[in-house]
Amino acid sequence: MIAAVIDDNYDRIRSDLVRLGLTYDRLIDDMLDHVCCMVEEYMDQGRDFESSYNQVIDSIGEKTLPEIQHQTLLNLDKKFQRMKNFTYVFGLTSAIITIIGSLFKRMHWPGAGILITVGMMLIVFVFLPLYFITNHRAQPERKNPVYAIVGYLTIALLLVAAVFKIMHWPGAGYLVYSSIGFILIGFIPLYVVNAFQRSGKEKANLPYIVMLLVGIACVMLMGNVNMSKDLLDVYMEEALANELRVEEVQERTARLLEVAQDSAHANQLATIAQIHDQARDLQVMVNDMQEGMIAFVGQPGASINEVHPLDNKNAGREAILDNGAGSAFIREAKQFASMLDELVKDEVANNQIEDHLEFASLVWDFEHGWDGVRESPLMKNYFKNTDASKGIALAEYVAISYLLHH
Amino acid sequence: MIANDLLKGTLRTIVLKLLADNGRMYGYEITKKVEELSTGKIKLTFGALYPVLHKLEADGHIATETEYIGKRIRKYYTLTDTGRSWTEQKVDEFFDFVNTLTYVLKPTPA
Repeated sequence: MIAAVIDDNYDRIRSDLVRLGLTYDRLIDDMLDHVCCMVEEYMDQGRDFESSYNQVIDSIGEKTLPEIQHQTLLNLDKKFQRMKNFTYVFGLTSAIITIIGSLFKRMHWPGAGILITVGMMLIVFVFLPLYFITNHRAQPERKNPVYAIVGYLTIALLLVAAVFKIMHWPGAGYLVYSSIGFILIGFIPLYVVNAFQRSGKEKANLPYIVMLLVGIACVMLMGNVNMSKDLLDVYMEEALANELRVEEVQERTARLLEVAQDSAHANQLATIAQIHDQARDLQVMVNDMQEGMIAFVGQPGASINEVHPLDNKNAGREAILDNGAGSAFIREAKQFASMLDELVKDEVANNQIEDHLEFASLVWDFEHGWDGVRESPLMKNYFKNTDASKGIALAEYVAISYLLHH
Repeated sequence: MIANDLLKGTLRTIVLKLLADNGRMYGYEITKKVEELSTGKIKLTFGALYPVLHKLEADGHIATETEYIGKRIRKYYTLTDTGRSWTEQKVDEFFDFVNTLTYVLKPTPA
């Protein structure tokens, strides 16, 4: 009896299922039987077909059947499943390469740059596109691909910028700024709009939130990781102490120069003047670099007191590296050191001079080489320069006093 | 009621085990059986069930036999030979997992 009623309505039930979004025949067979069983159960309780059937159909949400079909077809799509597995394996591999690269970088082992670059490029050009494509295809409804595309571009740009920054390649700055711009004018507005549209319907999409957080973390990592204020203050104090010491030593040197003027030292006068001139030239060069740094942060003529909180890494690069001032200075300082080495024959005095001019040798390259200048904030670079200035003043004093006493 | 995210990974194992114990079953019967065995705590919806069944069939773990019930087709699902040994393996894996979780979540006092 019940079976007969259901059979009478067979075509109607089937067309209702098709209307609700089923097209895959094998799934229609399953669902048809399932729905009929549900109706039969209600009818067994004594209800009529119409009310039973309506209750069953109403209990199936509008989007449920297309979702089931989409999920079923995805499960059956071997190519898609392979692609998904490949994406995970590939993502894991590239992430491991990148992490090993960062470890190498930290330990200053060779090959770090290549590992990081290869790992990141694999992530950007293979893993992420695959991830976004599979993720997009796995969505039950055809969503607007613009979300996936903007999401991909944002994270790709961030990672490429990070690689440029880590490798010190030119253009890193522009990439960082454009990726920040991309987040601000592309990703965030789109995400907010998306979140509002779907509010109430379903939970906000977790992967997008995660990506947003990763993006923010990347920007924070790439931005100047500011030195602690305390450390900057220490550099500041040391720099001011160095400057005072330079003044003091230069006053004492000036008194020596007066002494040198008397007739007893006539034969030394030319040499002493030569030393003094060269030391003065070097001091001028140091001063130029310092003024350049201060001018770079936008306040020409300001004192270091006023600008030291402006923890700007580009200042040193601009004033010391880019215009060649740093290498010219080190070249001159090395000449100064070898000149003093020839003139001063006393071992003790010679050792003192060597200590003072240590910065002109490899030590300066190690502590304050190109990378050091690039990575250090304004205050540290400024301090290093005052240290060099102090060394020059002291070496000059020691050399001149040696010459006067011998 | 058991939360859906806890069930997610075990759905396949449940379906396989039911087929191993009951021979051949059709979809609606499986959902009813799960409800009965779990005293209503696990509600296996058709939305979760059919994608899994079709996947298992495509992978060769289960096969179908069709019968007409009036005009409509009823598909009975049965385990294949490979599906049978795979089920044992999956069930063992599951108990292993549960035991491990028990150790982790209920550490015995030292």
